[in-house]
Amino acid sequence: MSHIHLPDGVLPLWLWVSGYALAILISAILFRFRKKDFMTKRFPLLGMMAATMVLGAAVEIIPIAYHVNLTVISGILLGPSLIFLATFVVNVILALFGHGGVTVVGLNTIVLSLEGILGYLLFRLFWKIFRRLTPAAFLATFLALLVSTFAMIGTVALGTTHYEALIHHEEEGGILGFELGREKKEHLEAEPKGHEVNLRRFMTIALSLGFIGWVLEGVMTTLILKYIQRLRPDLLRLEGHSP
Amino acid sequence: MMQLSYLDYSAVEGKSWLHRLPAIVKMVGAGFSLCGVVFLENLPGLLGLYTVLLFLFVTSRVPRAIFSLTLYPLIFAFLFIFVSGFQIRFILLIFLKVLCGSTSVVLLLATTPYPAVFRVLGKVLPSLFVTALFLTYRSVFILLDTLEETRHALYLRGGFQWQHPWRSLVNIANAFGHLILKGIDASERMYESMVLRGFEGKIRYRGEKNRD
Repeated sequence: MSHIHLPDGVLPLWLWVSGYALAILISAILFRFRKKDFMTKRFPLLGMMAATMVLGAAVEIIPIAYHVNLTVISGILLGPSLIFLATFVVNVILALFGHGGVTVVGLNTIVLSLEGILGYLLFRLFWKIFRRLTPAAFLATFLALLVSTFAMIGTVALGTTHYEALIHHEEEGGILGFELGREKKEHLEAEPKGHEVNLRRFMTIALSLGFIGWVLEGVMTTLILKYIQRLRPDLLRLEGHSP
Repeated sequence: MMQLSYLDYSAVEGKSWLHRLPAIVKMVGAGFSLCGVVFLENLPGLLGLYTVLLFLFVTSRVPRAIFSLTLYPLIFAFLFIFVSGFQIRFILLIFLKVLCGSTSVVLLLATTPYPAVFRVLGKVLPSLFVTALFLTYRSVFILLDTLEETRHALYLRGGFQWQHPWRSLVNIANAFGHLILKGIDASERMYESMVLRGFEGKIRYRGEKNRD
């Protein structure tokens, strides 16, 4: 639910350009301090985990329009810096198939990597507290998804004026949507109230469906991590856990 | 996602005029189309763009089965029906934007082999990013094969049954776990073979000069 599924042309230009700029800036900072050798060795694993995330996102649970992100698992296995690049790559590939617009890739990268990094950090923290995989994995996933869903809603809310402009846009207004901000605002103020974007409704839908999704993904992540712990505990690099 | 290999087959084996065009020309075309999706805000303009894309789709003789891939993103667009307060014009606008975006990209990938796309991207984007993108795209094909085997195994163990939700969830989670572990094994083998072929952090494409 935290993945922004908005198509191109819906978010305002300043918002998605800022998303790209921020994502590029974070990547530049993260990889400036990484050794080339480290990256070269981890590339195939990064590719595989990113591919798993792509496949996870392709499995849509139709009744609630939800798909698992597998970002928390990838975050745990890849670590915080590689998960950022992995989410960037995943979002580019998903955008190529219309799963979220190409212009939303930067924002999606920030939201999803926040989920992955937070998942990684929370998992380590809860492992230290509980020393048991089930509560650590479930709570880390649930909380990471909760935060990233709010980040997604916040991002979508930033573009409300633009959606309203799209709804109220008149056919005779020209082929391209270049209008001065002031004129757009005046035009919107003149419109009746009933035609506004219902952000509260969007939030209600996103949070209620999201809640089912967080629980589902929390359970899935826990079960997958338990499976990995049984067969390849070395991959989880857990402190004080003897295989 | 299962149609990805079909898409790749069409890109390599296709012989239409669009297949023969240089990758850079098609990528610039797809870029213009995406600009249209971003900036066009009226229905006739988007409808015109979609008609042009459909015309290209038909004349490039891309298999019709691939067309369903262009409709897949509509699943995510349905939320706009509620967000807009059932404004027909807005819903149509969003649906057309979705269809134009997905059709132009599917058209590009169905007529251009992916190494050619990555080769062009490698000229404008950082090698770190393009290498990660290339390996991920390659890994999707490897994982799709594993997924096919896993699906059979899952089916034999009961698969997904609504009357047994917990058991089904465990089965699906085990399948994903299996997929991840197989993927990691494959990535380790892939890294060894890449190193044997001289990989040093950057993938080089056929005909590319070594500038290091």
